[in-house]
Amino acid sequence: MAESVPVSTHRRRRRRAVAGAGALALALVAGTAGCSSGESGGAGSSGKTTITVAGMPATTAPKTRQQFLDAVAAFEKANPNIKLKPTDTQWDARTFAARLAGGSAETVLTVPLTEPPGLIARKQIIDLSAEVKSLPHSGDLDPRALAPATAADGKVHGLPVTEYALGLVYNRDLFTKAGLDPDKPPATWDEVRTAAKKISDTSGATGYTQMTVKNTGGWILTAMTYAYGGSMEKKVGDKYAPSLLDGPAENALRQLSAMRWQDDSMGNNHLRTQQDAERDFAAGKIGMMISTVNSYNRYITQYSGKPADFGMAALPQQNAGRSTLLGGLMAVVSAKATPAQRAAAVKWIDYFYLKPAYDPAAAEELALAQAADKLAVGLPTLPFYSAAVSDPVNAAINKHANIPAANFAPYVTGVGKLDYQVEPPVAAQDLYGALDTVVQAVLTRKDADPHDELAKAADRLGPAFEKAQAQ
Amino acid sequence: MSTPTIPRESLPAVAPAPVGKRPLRVNRLRAGSRHIAPALFLLPTVLVFGLFSWWPIIRSLVLSFQQTNLVEPATWVGLRNYQTLLDDPLLGKAVWNTVVFTGLALLIGFPLPLFLAVLMSELRRGGGLMRVLVYLPVAVPPVVAVLMWKWFYDPDTGLFNEVLGKVGLGPYPWLQSADTAMTSLVVEATWAGAGGAVLIYLAALASVPTELYEAAELDGASVRRRLWHVTLPHMRSILLIMMLLQVINTFQVFTEPFVLTDGGPEDSTVTVLLLIYRYAFVGGDYGSAAALSVSLAAVLAVLSAIYLRLTRTWGTK
Repeated sequence: MAESVPVSTHRRRRRRAVAGAGALALALVAGTAGCSSGESGGAGSSGKTTITVAGMPATTAPKTRQQFLDAVAAFEKANPNIKLKPTDTQWDARTFAARLAGGSAETVLTVPLTEPPGLIARKQIIDLSAEVKSLPHSGDLDPRALAPATAADGKVHGLPVTEYALGLVYNRDLFTKAGLDPDKPPATWDEVRTAAKKISDTSGATGYTQMTVKNTGGWILTAMTYAYGGSMEKKVGDKYAPSLLDGPAENALRQLSAMRWQDDSMGNNHLRTQQDAERDFAAGKIGMMISTVNSYNRYITQYSGKPADFGMAALPQQNAGRSTLLGGLMAVVSAKATPAQRAAAVKWIDYFYLKPAYDPAAAEELALAQAADKLAVGLPTLPFYSAAVSDPVNAAINKHANIPAANFAPYVTGVGKLDYQVEPPVAAQDLYGALDTVVQAVLTRKDADPHDELAKAADRLGPAFEKAQAQ
Repeated sequence: MSTPTIPRESLPAVAPAPVGKRPLRVNRLRAGSRHIAPALFLLPTVLVFGLFSWWPIIRSLVLSFQQTNLVEPATWVGLRNYQTLLDDPLLGKAVWNTVVFTGLALLIGFPLPLFLAVLMSELRRGGGLMRVLVYLPVAVPPVVAVLMWKWFYDPDTGLFNEVLGKVGLGPYPWLQSADTAMTSLVVEATWAGAGGAVLIYLAALASVPTELYEAAELDGASVRRRLWHVTLPHMRSILLIMMLLQVINTFQVFTEPFVLTDGGPEDSTVTVLLLIYRYAFVGGDYGSAAALSVSLAAVLAVLSAIYLRLTRTWGTK
């Protein structure tokens, strides 16, 4: 039958087929292009300001997640002109830039304290100074709590979510087995060395471990250097330069070298991330390490560690040291936010993150939800406000505390005597990366000389410091 | 009976087709319409490919001359990003490490799959099982495989030191020493990638005519001589391509150093791709990351061109 079809019909069919293919192609292209567009927030046709807010707890913590969603609903009710879109996205430096460029980064993000200096330098988060001044209790805000997100010009680019001082985390069971008193943990680095040797000799566990990769080596060495009375950067004229060769960093490294090569109390694994160290610590393979208060949460929720074995003390000090490094989370606002979104974002940060730090009722509500999800309640974090505001809040939280408070007593007592230091102000991540190499050299090569390794790191950092301060 | 033929001379002369304007246009239109359909069918593929493959390449090239925070409009900085690379003391180390990884991967990882393929092709029984076993590592997601090897290499509780300890050897530092870390990464990468190459070599071996082996056997050729004079010459083209692909792949090694060592100890496993990652996602310097990416692509393109030129005649000899 096909032979009887006129040629013109063939052509028409062919044209239709070609047209169909073309239409399909265009549809595909349109579809692809459509993927990149979408609602980016801001004031919609309804006149509402829409913002996306990260930080919603995961489904594994249903009560705290519900508490977050309830807070979203209550906030929207109290602020009918603001629409919130919550996400449970966690901070990830690898995806943030691409999401920011693509317009899908949240308006409000929570980031570790190591991040704000870089984000401020790259202008990826915005100045909130004006909005902060109009917040309730803004006069009572402790400048030290704002310091991690305060730029050199004094402008505030973030608000605290949680803050704590780095300290010595130790296994109380291993302490007891080694004949050490778990209620009197090491207060100096000499005592850390003695305790590490005893733990290592008696139980075969790693007496003391140091994180060394993904910039944690530099991070912890910086805390140690503060504890030895030093700093990692100093001002030379109107610019900052590395101060690695001033002595304290070298002393800290010599201590590590002695523990590693003379005492053999640091085990054999010297390429550890924070997760590696925390996992092995929870498994009872590590006696001591420098970490944050929040590691207790991961200790009980992720690694099923025994609460009774977890001990925490203030960061051990040596020589002229009287300082520790701050850790924690800050809430920041994407640089892509419009002025209306910025105002809405700060309102939300105040409502959800700051209110539980100045309003006892809000603090108690959050504590109840966390306790129901078996998350740690009552961890000794740093107050954001003066004692007059903070004390009633702490009392409300402590009614529902579920942590072994006595195990944190050495930390609470010790931290009160220390100054809090923030991240090095210039090229902190470059500095930490270069110091990772130094710590690895000292722990993996017996003949590595701390002074020479620090000198190499200082040389390596020259171009990075120049570039960071030329912008 | 032969078919009668007409003498050529008696055929009427064929008049050439008139070269008028109208017939030419019709021909062109017909030819044009013949090309439109395939072009339209190709269009979606070309557009999608262009959008997701070529456009990012062009963007990277442009970005390598810009400074951007991905929020404000990018600014042109000329060759400053390339200057940043040259100023970075870690670049030379990363390039050297990458070359060492590629060299070791060629030394260990290139002959091993070929050897396994030849061995498996000689098997009378169990060839299928062997193929599955050899290919299995390729089916394991790379990050899972690397994490598994992280445990193998653990200096305290790792599989290797446990097993070697039973026979009184070790413990060895594996990843914990700048002297052995890179070799340890190459061993893992060889394990992970050998399966795919073995299958390709097996397919190439199957295409070698069996008569050649039979003839060689009749001539009294040993296994080694048959391999050298029959098998390898027939696989020359595939070997050359596989070598080129391996060089390109190993130059871009990332997962192993990222997950197993993060470039340590003492930067002994920092590779070019790891450095690109650090520029972009740790330092937020997207321009320098793009500049290094472009430089790596250019080096690989030049190397590939030289290699193909040098080996142009080898594959067909």
